Amino acid sequence: MLQDDYTGVAIFAIIAILFPTVVFFLSRYFRTDRYDARSRTTYECGEVPIGDAQIQFHFQYYMYAIIFVAFDLVTVFVLMWALVFSGLSDLAKLFMVMFLGVLLVGVTYALKKEEIVWI
Amino acid sequence: MNLFEFCYGIIHWLVDLVNNLWYRLGDTLPWYFGDFFTAVGDFAASDGHLTFMTILLECIIIILVALINVLNFLWIFRKLSGRILDFYGPYYVGYRIGGWLQNLADGIKLFVKEIIVPKKADRLGYLLAPIIYVGSSLLILSVIPLSENFGLSTNESGEYVTAGALFALAAFSIAPFAILLAGWSSNNKYTLIGGMRSAAQMMSYEIPLILCAASVFLVAGSFNFVDIVDAQHDIWFLIPLFIGFVVFLICLIAEVEIIPFDLPEAEAELVEGWTTEYGGMKFGLFYMTTAIRSYAGGALATAFFLGGWHGPSFIPDEIWFLIKAYIVYTVFMWLTWSVPRVRIDQMLGVGWRRLLPLAVLNLFIAAVLKSGGWI
Repeated sequence: MLQDDYTGVAIFAIIAILFPTVVFFLSRYFRTDRYDARSRTTYECGEVPIGDAQIQFHFQYYMYAIIFVAFDLVTVFVLMWALVFSGLSDLAKLFMVMFLGVLLVGVTYALKKEEIVWI
Repeated sequence: MNLFEFCYGIIHWLVDLVNNLWYRLGDTLPWYFGDFFTAVGDFAASDGHLTFMTILLECIIIILVALINVLNFLWIFRKLSGRILDFYGPYYVGYRIGGWLQNLADGIKLFVKEIIVPKKADRLGYLLAPIIYVGSSLLILSVIPLSENFGLSTNESGEYVTAGALFALAAFSIAPFAILLAGWSSNNKYTLIGGMRSAAQMMSYEIPLILCAASVFLVAGSFNFVDIVDAQHDIWFLIPLFIGFVVFLICLIAEVEIIPFDLPEAEAELVEGWTTEYGGMKFGLFYMTTAIRSYAGGALATAFFLGGWHGPSFIPDEIWFLIKAYIVYTVFMWLTWSVPRVRIDQMLGVGWRRLLPLAVLNLFIAAVLKSGGWI
Protein backbone atom coordinates (compact mmCIF):
# COMPACT_ATOMS: atom_id res chain seq x y z
CA MET A 1 0.00 0.00 0.00
CA LEU A 2 2.52 2.55 1.19
CA GLN A 3 5.09 1.04 -1.11
CA ASP A 4 2.78 1.35 -4.12
CA ASP A 5 1.97 4.91 -3.16
CA TYR A 6 5.52 6.13 -2.90
CA THR A 7 7.20 4.25 -5.75
CA GLY A 8 6.90 7.34 -7.93
CA VAL A 9 8.50 9.55 -5.31
CA ALA A 10 11.34 7.06 -4.85
CA ILE A 11 12.08 7.02 -8.58
CA PHE A 12 11.87 10.81 -8.63
CA ALA A 13 14.33 10.97 -5.74
CA ILE A 14 16.85 8.88 -7.67
CA ILE A 15 16.50 11.18 -10.69
CA ALA A 16 16.78 14.24 -8.45
CA ILE A 17 20.08 12.99 -7.02
CA LEU A 18 21.38 11.91 -10.43
CA PHE A 19 20.57 15.24 -12.11
CA PRO A 20 23.26 17.41 -10.42
CA THR A 21 25.72 14.50 -10.36
CA VAL A 22 25.44 13.94 -14.10
CA VAL A 23 25.63 17.66 -14.84
CA PHE A 24 28.84 18.02 -12.83
CA PHE A 25 30.27 14.90 -14.38
CA LEU A 26 29.40 15.94 -17.95
CA SER A 27 30.84 19.41 -17.51
CA ARG A 28 34.23 17.75 -17.01
CA TYR A 29 34.33 16.95 -20.75
CA PHE A 30 33.44 20.46 -21.90
CA ARG A 31 35.49 22.69 -19.67
CA THR A 32 39.16 23.54 -19.59
CA ASP A 33 40.80 23.20 -16.21
CA ARG A 34 44.20 24.76 -15.84
CA TYR A 35 46.10 23.94 -12.74
CA ASP A 36 47.46 26.99 -10.99
CA ALA A 37 48.52 27.00 -7.37
CA ARG A 38 47.42 30.60 -6.90
CA SER A 39 43.90 29.97 -8.12
CA ARG A 40 43.40 27.22 -5.60
CA THR A 41 44.02 29.35 -2.54
CA THR A 42 41.13 30.31 -0.30
CA TYR A 43 39.33 33.42 -1.50
CA GLU A 44 39.66 36.37 0.82
CA CYS A 45 39.39 39.54 -1.27
CA GLY A 46 42.98 39.36 -2.47
CA GLU A 47 44.53 39.02 0.96
CA VAL A 48 46.57 36.02 1.97
CA PRO A 49 44.26 34.21 4.39
CA ILE A 50 45.42 34.03 8.00
CA GLY A 51 44.70 30.71 9.65
CA ASP A 52 41.99 28.16 9.01
CA ALA A 53 38.24 28.62 9.03
CA GLN A 54 37.55 25.20 10.53
CA ILE A 55 37.85 26.47 14.06
CA GLN A 56 35.74 26.31 17.20
CA PHE A 57 33.26 28.89 15.97
CA HIS A 58 31.45 30.77 18.71
CA PHE A 59 27.91 29.82 17.85
CA GLN A 60 25.83 32.41 19.68
CA TYR A 61 22.62 30.78 18.70
CA TYR A 62 22.30 28.16 21.38
CA MET A 63 19.18 29.68 22.99
CA TYR A 64 17.27 29.61 19.71
CA ALA A 65 18.65 26.16 19.03
CA ILE A 66 17.25 24.86 22.32
CA ILE A 67 13.84 26.43 21.65
CA PHE A 68 13.94 25.03 18.14
CA VAL A 69 14.45 21.49 19.37
CA ALA A 70 11.48 21.84 21.71
CA PHE A 71 9.27 23.35 19.02
CA ASP A 72 10.30 20.86 16.37
CA LEU A 73 8.88 18.09 18.50
CA VAL A 74 5.76 20.15 19.21
CA THR A 75 5.08 20.69 15.51
CA VAL A 76 4.94 16.92 15.03
CA PHE A 77 2.20 16.73 17.69
CA VAL A 78 0.43 19.75 16.25
CA LEU A 79 0.40 18.25 12.77
CA MET A 80 -1.15 15.01 13.99
CA TRP A 81 -3.61 16.93 16.16
CA ALA A 82 -4.58 19.07 13.17
CA LEU A 83 -5.11 16.06 10.93
CA VAL A 84 -7.72 14.42 13.20
CA PHE A 85 -9.14 17.68 14.53
CA SER A 86 -12.78 17.20 13.52
CA GLY A 87 -12.96 13.90 15.42
CA LEU A 88 -11.56 15.24 18.69
CA SER A 89 -13.45 16.11 21.87
CA ASP A 90 -13.57 19.72 23.08
CA LEU A 91 -11.25 18.88 25.95
CA ALA A 92 -8.56 17.57 23.60
CA LYS A 93 -8.79 20.71 21.49
CA LEU A 94 -8.52 22.90 24.59
CA PHE A 95 -5.52 20.98 25.93
CA MET A 96 -3.48 21.54 22.78
CA VAL A 97 -4.23 25.26 22.77
CA MET A 98 -3.25 25.46 26.46
CA PHE A 99 -0.08 23.50 25.71
CA LEU A 100 0.89 25.94 22.96
CA GLY A 101 0.13 28.86 25.29
CA VAL A 102 2.43 27.47 27.98
CA LEU A 103 5.17 27.00 25.36
CA LEU A 104 4.80 30.60 24.18
CA VAL A 105 5.20 31.84 27.75
CA GLY A 106 8.34 29.71 27.99
CA VAL A 107 9.73 31.18 24.75
CA THR A 108 9.05 34.72 25.98
CA TYR A 109 10.89 34.00 29.23
CA ALA A 110 13.85 32.38 27.49
CA LEU A 111 14.26 35.24 25.04
CA LYS A 112 13.92 37.86 27.75
CA LYS A 113 16.64 36.12 29.74
CA GLU A 114 19.02 36.29 26.78
CA GLU A 115 19.94 39.90 26.03
CA ILE A 116 22.29 39.62 23.05
CA VAL A 117 21.80 36.68 20.75
CA TRP A 118 23.90 37.60 17.74
CA ILE A 119 26.69 40.09 17.23
CA MET B 1 -7.02 11.82 -19.31
CA ASN B 2 -4.46 12.20 -16.56
CA LEU B 3 -0.70 12.25 -16.83
CA PHE B 4 -0.30 8.57 -15.97
CA GLU B 5 -2.67 7.43 -18.71
CA PHE B 6 -0.99 9.76 -21.22
CA CYS B 7 2.49 8.43 -20.40
CA TYR B 8 1.23 4.84 -20.29
CA GLY B 9 -0.17 5.26 -23.78
CA ILE B 10 3.13 6.56 -25.12
CA ILE B 11 5.17 3.83 -23.43
CA HIS B 12 2.78 1.08 -24.54
CA TRP B 13 2.96 2.30 -28.14
CA LEU B 14 6.75 2.49 -28.04
CA VAL B 15 7.15 -0.97 -26.52
CA ASP B 16 4.75 -2.45 -29.09
CA LEU B 17 6.70 -0.83 -31.90
CA VAL B 18 10.09 -2.02 -30.67
CA ASN B 19 8.80 -5.48 -29.76
CA ASN B 20 7.38 -5.93 -33.23
CA LEU B 21 10.79 -5.36 -34.80
CA TRP B 22 12.51 -7.35 -32.05
CA TYR B 23 10.38 -10.49 -32.55
CA ARG B 24 10.82 -10.26 -36.31
CA LEU B 25 14.58 -10.09 -35.79
CA GLY B 26 14.35 -13.12 -33.46
CA ASP B 27 12.47 -15.14 -36.09
CA THR B 28 15.27 -14.81 -38.59
CA LEU B 29 17.81 -16.33 -36.16
CA PRO B 30 18.19 -20.02 -35.10
CA TRP B 31 15.87 -21.28 -32.31
CA TYR B 32 18.37 -20.99 -29.43
CA PHE B 33 18.61 -17.25 -30.10
CA GLY B 34 14.87 -17.04 -30.61
CA ASP B 35 14.12 -18.16 -27.04
CA PHE B 36 16.30 -15.42 -25.66
CA PHE B 37 14.63 -12.85 -27.89
CA THR B 38 11.17 -13.98 -26.79
CA ALA B 39 12.13 -13.74 -23.11
CA VAL B 40 13.45 -10.18 -23.49
CA GLY B 41 10.40 -9.15 -25.48
CA ASP B 42 8.02 -10.65 -22.92
CA PHE B 43 9.85 -8.84 -20.12
CA ALA B 44 9.55 -5.55 -22.01
CA ALA B 45 5.81 -6.08 -22.43
CA SER B 46 5.27 -7.13 -18.79
CA ASP B 47 3.15 -5.00 -16.48
CA GLY B 48 5.89 -4.07 -14.00
CA HIS B 49 8.25 -2.89 -16.69
CA LEU B 50 5.56 -0.78 -18.37
CA THR B 51 4.59 0.86 -15.06
CA PHE B 52 8.20 1.59 -14.21
CA MET B 53 8.88 3.21 -17.56
CA THR B 54 5.64 5.20 -17.29
CA ILE B 55 6.66 6.61 -13.90
CA LEU B 56 10.10 7.43 -15.32
CA LEU B 57 8.49 9.34 -18.20
CA GLU B 58 6.20 11.15 -15.75
CA CYS B 59 9.19 12.23 -13.65
CA ILE B 60 10.99 13.53 -16.72
CA ILE B 61 7.94 15.46 -17.91
CA ILE B 62 7.46 17.02 -14.47
CA ILE B 63 11.12 18.03 -14.24
CA LEU B 64 11.04 19.51 -17.75
CA VAL B 65 7.91 21.55 -16.97
CA ALA B 66 9.52 22.74 -13.77
CA LEU B 67 12.74 23.73 -15.54
CA ILE B 68 10.83 25.71 -18.16
CA ASN B 69 9.04 27.50 -15.33
CA VAL B 70 12.38 28.13 -13.67
CA LEU B 71 13.70 29.76 -16.86
CA ASN B 72 10.60 31.95 -16.91
CA PHE B 73 11.11 32.82 -13.26
CA LEU B 74 14.73 33.84 -13.79
CA TRP B 75 13.68 35.92 -16.78
CA ILE B 76 10.95 37.62 -14.72
CA PHE B 77 13.49 38.19 -11.95
CA ARG B 78 15.96 39.91 -14.25
CA LYS B 79 13.39 41.85 -16.26
CA LEU B 80 11.47 43.03 -13.21
CA SER B 81 14.57 44.01 -11.27
CA GLY B 82 15.60 45.95 -14.36
CA ARG B 83 12.29 47.78 -14.54
CA ILE B 84 12.23 48.57 -10.83
CA LEU B 85 15.86 49.68 -10.63
CA ASP B 86 15.51 51.64 -13.90
CA PHE B 87 17.63 49.66 -16.36
CA TYR B 88 16.68 47.42 -19.27
CA GLY B 89 17.50 43.95 -18.08
CA PRO B 90 18.47 41.27 -20.59
CA TYR B 91 17.33 41.95 -24.14
CA TYR B 92 20.12 41.02 -26.55
CA VAL B 93 20.00 37.20 -26.59
CA GLY B 94 16.60 36.29 -27.99
CA TYR B 95 15.80 39.82 -29.01
CA ARG B 96 12.29 39.10 -30.29
CA ILE B 97 11.15 37.33 -27.12
CA GLY B 98 12.41 39.95 -24.71
CA GLY B 99 15.78 38.44 -23.88
CA TRP B 100 14.30 35.14 -22.71
CA LEU B 101 17.27 33.14 -23.99
CA GLN B 102 19.76 35.07 -21.86
CA ASN B 103 19.52 32.54 -19.03
CA LEU B 104 20.19 29.63 -21.39
CA ALA B 105 23.25 31.46 -22.70
CA ASP B 106 24.46 32.07 -19.15
CA GLY B 107 23.85 28.43 -18.34
CA ILE B 108 26.00 27.27 -21.27
CA LYS B 109 28.70 29.74 -20.29
CA LEU B 110 28.76 28.45 -16.72
CA PHE B 111 28.69 24.85 -17.96
CA VAL B 112 32.01 25.23 -19.80
CA LYS B 113 33.64 27.25 -17.05
CA GLU B 114 36.58 26.02 -15.02
CA ILE B 115 35.87 24.48 -11.63
CA ILE B 116 38.31 25.27 -8.85
CA VAL B 117 38.34 23.20 -5.69
CA PRO B 118 40.24 25.15 -3.03
CA LYS B 119 43.31 23.38 -1.74
CA LYS B 120 42.30 23.68 1.89
CA ALA B 121 38.71 22.56 1.35
CA ASP B 122 37.32 19.27 2.61
CA ARG B 123 36.91 17.65 -0.79
CA LEU B 124 34.13 15.19 -0.05
CA GLY B 125 31.89 17.67 1.73
CA TYR B 126 32.64 20.34 -0.83
CA LEU B 127 31.47 18.16 -3.71
CA LEU B 128 28.59 16.50 -1.84
CA ALA B 129 26.89 19.68 -0.59
CA PRO B 130 25.63 20.98 -3.97
CA ILE B 131 24.30 17.55 -4.87
CA ILE B 132 22.27 17.36 -1.65
CA TYR B 133 21.07 20.94 -2.01
CA VAL B 134 19.98 20.65 -5.64
CA GLY B 135 18.62 17.13 -5.25
CA SER B 136 16.50 17.89 -2.20
CA SER B 137 15.15 21.02 -3.85
CA LEU B 138 14.17 19.08 -6.96
CA LEU B 139 12.54 16.47 -4.74
CA ILE B 140 9.99 19.05 -3.54
CA LEU B 141 8.56 19.16 -7.05
CA SER B 142 7.78 15.43 -7.08
CA VAL B 143 4.66 15.80 -4.93
CA ILE B 144 3.35 19.18 -6.11
CA PRO B 145 0.54 18.61 -8.64
CA LEU B 146 -0.47 21.33 -11.08
CA SER B 147 -4.03 20.02 -11.25
CA GLU B 148 -6.05 16.88 -10.56
CA ASN B 149 -4.68 15.43 -13.79
CA PHE B 150 -1.11 16.68 -13.84
CA GLY B 151 1.01 15.15 -11.11
CA LEU B 152 3.07 12.12 -10.18
CA SER B 153 0.83 9.09 -9.65
CA THR B 154 1.52 5.37 -9.82
CA ASN B 155 -1.75 3.96 -11.19
CA GLU B 156 -4.60 4.79 -13.58
CA SER B 157 -6.77 6.32 -10.86
CA GLY B 158 -4.42 9.29 -10.83
CA GLU B 159 -4.26 9.50 -7.03
CA TYR B 160 -1.28 11.28 -5.54
CA VAL B 161 0.72 10.30 -2.46
CA THR B 162 -1.33 10.51 0.73
CA ALA B 163 0.90 12.90 2.66
CA GLY B 164 2.08 15.01 -0.27
CA ALA B 165 1.98 18.38 1.49
CA LEU B 166 3.88 17.02 4.47
CA PHE B 167 6.49 15.48 2.18
CA ALA B 168 6.95 18.78 0.36
CA LEU B 169 7.58 20.60 3.65
CA ALA B 170 9.98 17.87 4.74
CA ALA B 171 11.97 18.07 1.50
CA PHE B 172 11.99 21.85 1.83
CA SER B 173 13.80 21.62 5.15
CA ILE B 174 16.74 19.39 4.11
CA ALA B 175 18.55 22.43 2.67
CA PRO B 176 20.09 23.83 5.91
CA PHE B 177 22.04 20.61 6.30
CA ALA B 178 23.62 20.98 2.86
CA ILE B 179 24.26 24.68 3.40
CA LEU B 180 26.01 24.08 6.71
CA LEU B 181 28.06 21.34 5.06
CA ALA B 182 29.03 23.65 2.19
CA GLY B 183 29.92 26.48 4.54
CA TRP B 184 32.07 24.31 6.77
CA SER B 185 33.86 22.25 4.14
CA SER B 186 34.84 25.23 1.97
CA ASN B 187 37.17 26.28 4.78
CA ASN B 188 36.64 29.96 4.19
CA LYS B 189 35.63 32.53 6.81
CA TYR B 190 32.86 34.01 4.71
CA THR B 191 31.31 30.67 3.90
CA LEU B 192 31.50 29.60 7.53
CA ILE B 193 29.62 32.66 8.79
CA GLY B 194 27.19 32.49 5.87
CA GLY B 195 26.45 28.83 6.51
CA MET B 196 25.90 29.43 10.23
CA ARG B 197 23.58 32.33 9.50
CA SER B 198 21.68 30.35 6.92
CA ALA B 199 21.16 27.43 9.29
CA ALA B 200 19.98 29.81 12.04
CA GLN B 201 17.61 31.57 9.67
CA MET B 202 16.09 28.45 8.18
CA MET B 203 15.66 26.89 11.60
CA SER B 204 13.87 29.87 13.09
CA TYR B 205 11.53 30.42 10.14
CA GLU B 206 10.64 26.78 9.75
CA ILE B 207 8.51 26.62 12.90
CA PRO B 208 6.06 29.42 11.92
CA LEU B 209 5.97 28.01 8.39
CA ILE B 210 4.92 24.58 9.59
CA LEU B 211 2.46 25.99 12.13
CA CYS B 212 0.76 27.99 9.36
CA ALA B 213 0.65 24.88 7.20
CA ALA B 214 -0.81 23.02 10.20
CA SER B 215 -3.71 25.48 10.30
CA VAL B 216 -4.42 24.65 6.67
CA PHE B 217 -4.24 20.91 7.40
CA LEU B 218 -6.57 21.47 10.35
CA VAL B 219 -9.24 23.12 8.23
CA ALA B 220 -8.85 20.73 5.30
CA GLY B 221 -8.44 17.65 7.49
CA SER B 222 -5.90 16.08 5.15
CA PHE B 223 -2.26 16.13 4.03
CA ASN B 224 -3.21 15.50 0.43
CA PHE B 225 -2.96 18.35 -2.08
CA VAL B 226 -6.17 17.38 -3.86
CA ASP B 227 -8.19 17.38 -0.60
CA ILE B 228 -6.64 20.68 0.51
CA VAL B 229 -7.51 22.35 -2.78
CA ASP B 230 -11.01 20.83 -2.85
CA ALA B 231 -11.65 22.18 0.65
CA GLN B 232 -11.15 25.65 -0.85
CA HIS B 233 -13.94 25.19 -3.37
CA ASP B 234 -16.28 27.65 -1.65
CA ILE B 235 -13.82 30.07 -0.10
CA TRP B 236 -10.05 30.40 -0.42
CA PHE B 237 -8.18 29.94 2.86
CA LEU B 238 -6.65 33.34 2.17
CA ILE B 239 -9.73 35.02 3.65
CA PRO B 240 -10.36 33.17 6.95
CA LEU B 241 -6.63 32.54 7.57
CA PHE B 242 -5.29 35.88 6.41
CA ILE B 243 -2.73 36.16 9.25
CA GLY B 244 -1.50 32.70 8.36
CA PHE B 245 -1.08 33.66 4.72
CA VAL B 246 1.03 36.71 5.55
CA VAL B 247 3.20 34.78 8.02
CA PHE B 248 3.55 31.94 5.50
CA LEU B 249 4.74 34.32 2.77
CA ILE B 250 7.28 36.00 5.06
CA CYS B 251 8.62 32.62 6.13
CA LEU B 252 8.85 31.50 2.50
CA ILE B 253 10.91 34.57 1.64
CA ALA B 254 13.25 33.71 4.50
CA GLU B 255 13.47 30.05 3.48
CA VAL B 256 14.20 30.91 -0.16
CA GLU B 257 16.77 33.53 0.93
CA ILE B 258 15.77 36.49 -1.21
CA ILE B 259 16.59 40.00 -0.38
CA PRO B 260 14.98 41.32 2.76
CA PHE B 261 16.20 38.11 4.37
CA ASP B 262 19.23 37.19 2.26
CA LEU B 263 21.62 37.53 5.20
CA PRO B 264 23.49 34.31 4.32
CA GLU B 265 24.44 35.82 0.96
CA ALA B 266 24.71 39.45 2.00
CA GLU B 267 27.19 40.55 -0.66
CA ALA B 268 28.16 43.74 1.17
CA GLU B 269 29.28 41.87 4.27
CA LEU B 270 30.12 38.31 3.24
CA VAL B 271 31.32 38.28 -0.36
CA GLU B 272 28.80 35.76 -1.65
CA GLY B 273 27.91 34.07 1.62
CA TRP B 274 28.10 30.32 1.72
CA THR B 275 28.51 30.05 -2.09
CA THR B 276 31.74 32.08 -2.13
CA GLU B 277 34.04 29.18 -3.03
CA TYR B 278 31.70 27.65 -5.60
CA GLY B 279 32.23 28.61 -9.21
CA GLY B 280 31.31 27.39 -12.66
CA MET B 281 28.42 24.97 -13.01
CA LYS B 282 28.12 24.62 -9.22
CA PHE B 283 27.24 28.28 -8.98
CA GLY B 284 24.93 27.87 -11.96
CA LEU B 285 23.02 25.10 -10.26
CA PHE B 286 22.81 27.09 -7.02
CA TYR B 287 21.36 29.96 -8.99
CA MET B 288 18.86 27.64 -10.63
CA THR B 289 17.97 26.04 -7.32
CA THR B 290 17.02 29.39 -5.80
CA ALA B 291 14.49 29.71 -8.61
CA ILE B 292 13.32 26.11 -8.09
CA ARG B 293 12.72 26.84 -4.43
CA SER B 294 10.88 30.05 -5.30
CA TYR B 295 8.71 28.07 -7.70
CA ALA B 296 8.05 25.41 -5.08
CA GLY B 297 7.30 28.07 -2.48
CA GLY B 298 4.90 29.87 -4.79
CA ALA B 299 3.22 26.57 -5.61
CA LEU B 300 2.85 25.71 -1.90
CA ALA B 301 1.36 29.13 -1.12
CA THR B 302 -1.00 28.71 -4.07
CA ALA B 303 -2.14 25.25 -3.03
CA PHE B 304 -2.52 26.13 0.65
CA PHE B 305 -4.08 29.59 0.54
CA LEU B 306 -4.96 30.73 -2.98
CA GLY B 307 -7.36 28.01 -3.99
CA GLY B 308 -4.92 25.95 -6.06
CA TRP B 309 -6.24 25.25 -9.54
CA HIS B 310 -9.74 26.57 -8.90
CA GLY B 311 -10.84 29.36 -11.18
CA PRO B 312 -13.22 30.16 -14.06
CA SER B 313 -13.03 27.26 -16.46
CA PHE B 314 -12.19 29.14 -19.66
CA ILE B 315 -8.53 28.74 -18.68
CA PRO B 316 -7.22 25.18 -18.01
CA ASP B 317 -6.60 24.20 -14.38
CA GLU B 318 -2.85 23.88 -14.79
CA ILE B 319 -2.58 27.38 -16.20
CA TRP B 320 -4.60 28.77 -13.29
CA PHE B 321 -2.22 27.16 -10.84
CA LEU B 322 0.82 28.54 -12.65
CA ILE B 323 -0.70 32.04 -12.94
CA LYS B 324 -1.21 32.14 -9.17
CA ALA B 325 2.29 30.82 -8.50
CA TYR B 326 3.73 33.46 -10.86
CA ILE B 327 1.78 36.19 -9.07
CA VAL B 328 3.19 35.06 -5.71
CA TYR B 329 6.68 35.10 -7.20
CA THR B 330 6.16 38.57 -8.68
CA VAL B 331 5.14 39.83 -5.25
CA PHE B 332 8.35 38.34 -3.85
CA MET B 333 10.39 40.16 -6.48
CA TRP B 334 8.53 43.42 -5.93
CA LEU B 335 9.30 43.16 -2.22
CA THR B 336 12.92 42.25 -2.95
CA TRP B 337 13.67 45.49 -4.76
CA SER B 338 11.58 47.71 -2.48
CA VAL B 339 12.90 47.03 1.01
CA PRO B 340 16.43 47.09 2.44
CA ARG B 341 18.18 44.11 3.96
CA VAL B 342 17.62 43.62 7.69
CA ARG B 343 20.25 42.84 10.32
CA ILE B 344 20.72 39.25 11.51
CA ASP B 345 19.58 39.81 15.11
CA GLN B 346 16.58 41.83 13.91
CA MET B 347 15.65 39.04 11.57
CA LEU B 348 15.88 36.32 14.20
CA GLY B 349 13.98 38.58 16.62
CA VAL B 350 11.14 39.01 14.12
CA GLY B 351 11.03 35.27 13.54
CA TRP B 352 10.77 34.21 17.17
CA ARG B 353 9.15 37.19 18.85
CA ARG B 354 6.53 38.19 16.26
CA LEU B 355 5.90 35.49 13.68
CA LEU B 356 5.75 32.57 16.11
CA PRO B 357 2.96 34.09 18.31
CA LEU B 358 1.14 35.18 15.15
CA ALA B 359 1.34 31.64 13.77
CA VAL B 360 -0.06 30.22 17.02
CA LEU B 361 -2.83 32.85 16.95
CA ASN B 362 -3.62 31.81 13.39
CA LEU B 363 -3.80 28.17 14.47
CA PHE B 364 -6.15 29.20 17.27
CA ILE B 365 -8.39 31.09 14.83
CA ALA B 366 -8.46 28.06 12.54
CA ALA B 367 -9.40 25.80 15.47
CA VAL B 368 -12.21 28.14 16.55
CA LEU B 369 -13.56 28.46 13.01
CA LYS B 370 -13.43 24.73 12.45
CA SER B 371 -15.11 23.75 15.72
CA GLY B 372 -17.74 26.45 15.19
CA GLY B 373 -18.48 24.93 11.81
CA TRP B 374 -18.06 28.21 9.92
CA ILE B 375 -15.51 26.83 7.48
